[in-house]
This record gives sequence, C-alpha cells and structure tokens, in this order.
Amino acid sequence: MFYFEKRKKIPKKLQITIPVVSILIGVLFGAVAILIVGINPYTVYKSLFLNAFGNWYAFSETLTAATPLLLISAGLILVFRMGIWNIGAYGQYIMGAIFSSYFAIFMPADIPKPLMLSMMVVGGMVGGMIWAIIPAILKVFWEVNEVISTLLLNYIALFVLKFLMYGSWKNPTSYGFPLSKPFPDSAQMPIIFEHTRISLGFIFAILAIIAIWFIISKTKFGYEAKIIGNNTTTAKYAGINVGKNIIIAMAISGALAGLAGMVQVSGIIHFLQVKINANYGYTSIIVAWISYLNPIVCFFSSIIFGGIASGGYSIQISMRVSYGIVGLIESIALFSLVGAQIFLNYTLRWKK
Amino acid sequence: MNKTVVLKAEGITKRFPETIANDNINLELHKGEIHALLGENGAGKTTFMNMLYGIYMPSEGSIYINGEKVDIKTPFDAINYGIGMVHQHFMLVESLTVLENIILGLKNQGVIINKTKIKKEIKEISERYSLKVNPEQKIWQLSVGEQQKVEIIKVLFRGANILILDEPTAVLRPQETEPLFEIMRKMKQDNKSMFFITHKLDEVMAVSDTISVLRKGKVVRTILKKDTTKEKLAEMMVGRAVLFDFKKEKKETKEKLLDVSNIEVYSDIGLKIIDNASMDVMKGEILGIAGVSGNGQKELVQTIAGLRKTPKGKIVFDNIDITNKSPRFIAESGINYIPADRIGMGLASDLSCIDNAIMRNYYKKPILSKCIINYKKAKSYTDKIVKMFNIAVADISSPIKLLSGGNMQKLLFARELLEKPKLLIASYPTRGLDLASTEFVRLKMLKIREENMSVILISEDLDELLSISDRIAIIYKGQIMGIVDSDTVNKNQIGLMMAGKRFKDIQ
Repeated sequence: MFYFEKRKKIPKKLQITIPVVSILIGVLFGAVAILIVGINPYTVYKSLFLNAFGNWYAFSETLTAATPLLLISAGLILVFRMGIWNIGAYGQYIMGAIFSSYFAIFMPADIPKPLMLSMMVVGGMVGGMIWAIIPAILKVFWEVNEVISTLLLNYIALFVLKFLMYGSWKNPTSYGFPLSKPFPDSAQMPIIFEHTRISLGFIFAILAIIAIWFIISKTKFGYEAKIIGNNTTTAKYAGINVGKNIIIAMAISGALAGLAGMVQVSGIIHFLQVKINANYGYTSIIVAWISYLNPIVCFFSSIIFGGIASGGYSIQISMRVSYGIVGLIESIALFSLVGAQIFLNYTLRWKK
Repeated sequence: MNKTVVLKAEGITKRFPETIANDNINLELHKGEIHALLGENGAGKTTFMNMLYGIYMPSEGSIYINGEKVDIKTPFDAINYGIGMVHQHFMLVESLTVLENIILGLKNQGVIINKTKIKKEIKEISERYSLKVNPEQKIWQLSVGEQQKVEIIKVLFRGANILILDEPTAVLRPQETEPLFEIMRKMKQDNKSMFFITHKLDEVMAVSDTISVLRKGKVVRTILKKDTTKEKLAEMMVGRAVLFDFKKEKKETKEKLLDVSNIEVYSDIGLKIIDNASMDVMKGEILGIAGVSGNGQKELVQTIAGLRKTPKGKIVFDNIDITNKSPRFIAESGINYIPADRIGMGLASDLSCIDNAIMRNYYKKPILSKCIINYKKAKSYTDKIVKMFNIAVADISSPIKLLSGGNMQKLLFARELLEKPKLLIASYPTRGLDLASTEFVRLKMLKIREENMSVILISEDLDELLSISDRIAIIYKGQIMGIVDSDTVNKNQIGLMMAGKRFKDIQ
C-alpha cells in the first residue's frame, strides 16, 4: 500500500521539478487534443515554439504578451503571499482599461503626449485599485470571502465594459461594431523597439516586479505581509493592523492589474473594445503560482507563458489549431501544479 | 453498578517524535458507567481518546472490547466495535437537515433513503433519552446545545454502546449543562458506558461514577467518586513538581503598576468568560494566577494585552488608561505578553527564527530605518538571543517550526523579555521545558522582580506559583476568588478556591 509520510524539510530541487513537470503534463494533454483533431502534435508544438522564440520578431511578440502577465502577477504575488485570494485581476484589468480610455476618448487629442499618458496611467491604476479595494473592504469589515467577491466583480466589470461599448462610448462610425473611436496619437504608448509592439509598458512591468521584490524582501510592509500570510492571530498579537495591510496590498495588486489593462489598450489595441484580452487576469494567477510566488522566477514564467500565448495565436492562424489549446495547456499545468503540492510536504512511500 | 468490563486499555503508550503523550495507561470501563477523565490541557486525555476512536494507533499496549483484543485502525473500525465519539467541535454540515446529518456517511442506506423509517428510529432514540430535536430542521437553525444533541443521536443511531464525550460542556451555557447530564444519566440507565472528558471539577462530581486523573500522560489515580472530593481531585490534577527553593526577599512596595477593575469579557463563542473581575499588580511583584484551565485566565490576560475587548470596567497601567487600546499601544506602554499558544499566536511557525525574533522591534531602530528592515542587523540580533538563551538551533534562517517545543518557547520568552517590559505576562512559560531551562526561566522572572519590574504568571503548577510569586490570584468561572499572600497560604486553601470557594469563606 502506498502511503504519504511528512517531510522534515522541503527539498529545493522539487520547487523547480514540480512546475516544469506540471507544464509538461499540460503540453502532453494538449498533444492528445491535437491528435484527436488529426494533426501531428510535433509539428504544432514546433511551430508554436518557433513562433514564440524562433526569431527576434517572434520573441518580441512573446515579450509583448508577457508584459501584462508580469504586471498582474507582480501584484498577485503580494496578495497571495498574504493569503488573500484575489481572483479579480480580470475585472481590475478591465476597469483599468475603461478608466484610462476615458481620457483617450473624451479629452482633446492635442493634449501633450506625456500629460495624456500620465493621466491614462493614473486613471488605469485608480480604476483597477477601486475594483480591488471593494472586495478588500468587504473582507476586512464584514468577513466576505474575497474569492467570491472578486470573481463576481469580474462579471460586473465585463458588463460595464459591454454597456459602454454597445452604448455611449461606441464610435458612431464603426458600423455598429462595439468599438470606441481610435485613440489619438497622444494616447498611444511609445514603442521602445522599432518594428515591434513592445511598448513602454514592458519597462513598467520590469519596474513593477522589481518593486514587488523589494517590498516583499526588504520593507516593513513586506515583513508584516509575511506574518499575516502565516497566521493572522500572530499578526494581531504582534500589533500589526491586519485590515489596513490587506487593503493596501489589494490596492497595489488592483493598481497593477489596472495598469496592465491601460498598457494593453494604449500600447497595443489603440481603441477600447469588448475583447481586450482580459483573460491575462486569469493566466497571471497560474503564472504567479507556477513561480511559487517568487518575483524573480515570475519574470521568467511570464515570458514562458507569454510565449505560449503568442505562439498559440500564430498556430491558430497558420495551422488552424484552435487557440483553445493554449487555455488547455495552461489549465492542466495549474491543475497538475496544485495537485503536486502534496509532494512538497509529503513523500510517497510503499509499505507491504 | 454492573461490573462487566466493556472496554479495557492495557499498557497504552503513545510516543510522538518529541514527547510521550500517553505513558502506560491502564483503564477499565464498566457497563453502565460514566467514567470521567480529568486532567489539565496537555495531560494526554485527547490523545488517549483518539486512540480508542482509531485516529491514532498506540505505540504499545492493547485495547480489549468485551474481553476481546481489538485493533482499531480507523474511526470506521471504532464505530463497528460500538464506540461513538461526540467531538468538542461538532462534525455537522450546517446547510443539511438533522436527518441528513445523522445518516451522512452511513453505508447501509441503499440508494433510496427511507425517510419515514429513519424518522421513526430517530424519534425512538429522542424519546428514550429526552433528546428533543426536529429531524427536518437545518443545523444552522439550531442552538449549540441542540447541535450537541444531534451529535449524540448520530452516535446512538450508529449503535454505539461506548460513548466518548470530549469536553461536551465546554461549548454549553451553564443552564444547558444540567440537561446534558440528565441525558447522560438516562443513557447510563440504558447500560451505555461513557468516557467523559473534562477539566471541570464540579461536573465530574455531578455526573460521574469513576474518575481517572491524568497528568503528563500518566494515570495518576483511578478512584470512585464517592471516595474523593473536589479539593483532592484539584491537587491530583496539578500535582507536585520538582520543587525549586528560590530565595526571594520580602518587598514592601506599595506602588500600584496595574489596576484592573470590574472587567467583563466574552469568549469567542459569546459566553461570558470573565465576570466582573478586579485585581492589581504592584511594582516589583510577581502575581501568580492559579485556576483550573478554562476558567478565564487566558481571556483575562489577553484583555490586559489588548487582544480582547471589555465592554465594562477599566484597566489602568502605569497611570495610563489602557482599556481597549490596541495591542501595539499596550506593548509600547510596557506590557509584554507570552501567550500559552505559542504556535497559534506567539510565533509564525513557517517563518524563520530571524523573522520571529524581531516581531517586537522590527518597526523600531536599529532594525528599521526609513521603512526598510535591516536584515543584517536582524540576523545579528537573533544570533545574540540564541547565544544568550542557549537556544539549540541549526540554522536561524530555517523555519522556526523545525525547533523543539522547548527551544521555541525559549525564543519567545527571550523576545518578550528583551523588550524590557515594565510588566511581563507569562502564560505557562515553563510548559514543555526541561528542568534546566525551567529553572533558567524562573530565575529570569525573579530577576525582573529584583529590577522592580513586575510579572503576571499563569501556571498550572502550584509549586511554581507558591515558590516564585509574591501573591496569588485564584480564578474560578471568570471570577477572582481571592488574592492571597503566597507565604501565608497553603495548597489546600488554593485547591478550595480553585474549586470555587471564596477566600473569606475558607478562613
């Protein structure tokens, strides 16, 4: 009979093996799905890989997709470490996009670019922040479970977006399509590498992940977050204001997700529409977990998942393999990762 | 009383990596008997019961049921042998009905549930033992007392003849206790046998036939109720530890440091747990608090430390009103608290020794400067503590949960002590420590006293209280029975007060 025995110490090696194997399991299941459709998985994966990392342009697209992932998961690392399960990055991202688009759509187009972009950055962060502070306040004062409140707010955000896109924010000349009018040049984020779509947002993402690393490992706030994440009773005993810290952490996390939404509409799409890739909000949860909530690892995981996403788009076009395959790989990877957690604290043994 | 032995434990020993939780326990449970297991927290009552119920397996020894040797590997085995457990924390699904909870997990019900038949059976059981509940009500609609009845019916429905009641009165209001005892007596008449776990002396005297007192994993004595008294039981529970003879000179300070007047505190489940309590602590004094655990000593000191609120009364410390102030404010005023529950409250078990060592000074210079924690200084601070207090630790960067209980306790004690408090509140500071460390901690507390600072010491060890405290406050059901001078009081008097007599009544 197999039985589990508690480990005395978590082996460092496993912290690398488990995420890698989890992704491989996801890839394996993806291969089965591709086989069922009747295509050779090897050629699909080869194409996916080349379209993600094969040349500078492919890699630039990977970095473009990694940008929102890195921004959002940076914030998620902070709240997840405190034991707050913010599933609402999806909605916070949408609110960030809406708030920042307001300036692009309704402000005069001839506002100087730095001013316009600053307003949009601040607007996007505030939008995401509001959407994250609501569940934080509900949790702190009325003990409302944040998993449920953040998840439900995602739908509300999506409906707010749809309401605007089919309503007053719709471009009258868009032939009924739910699109806003295009952003003026002053509202478009500058591209930092020529002939790519890597915008200034990529720099923001790198700064964000460094800032989160710094907050977690160096500051007083990071220390208090650590204690709260371990045990709130201990935190209260140590005199830490748990509620205040939760609200601040959620605000930071929401602001970063909102910024990701802003970067997407201002840097990539250049108008507001219903489809603004808000699913990055869910993928980032996987990215944060697969990095074991470590900011440095998260930098690399974001690039891997960015690659899967951008490669996935390419194979959808070139090989007619549905983009759904990407979601399949990601979700099975997360499923395996969560399932494998038991091996961190326990080891499997065999008895008679 | 019927003399048939229904359950016999022979030489039961349970070892855990660090401790021996049960050491050679021999017990017999007779048919139609209520057998109380009395002991302080950590005496090994629950460990023993968990072995009877198949949650743990004994390291040594055997269990006999109706004279037959049995191996109880899982709770399913236990149920099959007719053993039922009423847990202290109910195992009920709140959103299901009483009936659904009762049949939950039963394997012989088939696919279609015959509700009429089950209802009839439940009704029979309810009537026989006056366990009145409505099978169609949802659990969340029931009071705690009613939920407990459901738990008992659940156990009886599964055909249990041996019931284990794990501190059943801990969650009840005083007026709900007697009806429970009535139910227990009825079950007894029906030849059911019961283990009744508790640390409340009144209840033991009210309902049990036989009493076994456990201390430090051993059965101190098994005795018939008619042959003992509350006072004798109190003494057996607390026991006599190694006596250290500490020399301390009498002090004549009459300057008040802490003044607690008429406070009232409610427990986590809303019961009044401190009832109009008043006490004071002088400068340079060690005030001991004696009492059977669960009588409110934890809540009393947590209120002083700011971790619980009092709707009434006043707490004045060093001429500052600290009533209902934040824990940080109170700590900054000079009160440090060593909680009894070190893993649940005093320490963050997954974090490193360093993170735990700086929990009281991370927000102050020199550890903190401009919002940045200087982990280098934190590390050397931790090294200092480890050296000063002789803490056995391989790597101060690894999680503190890897340390032994005694070493964790030393780190916690050191952290609070080094804040140089004006008042140190120490709950069971020597629990789990070896003799040398125990003496070390006691000497440190005496040193605080010499430096004209004060200590509130909660302990279950009467000898410890008598030898190092100046005065002892005795607490019973949330009330202070009296505050006595430790030089003039004797153990017998303390025992009487722990059992609920007022000081003025025993003189």
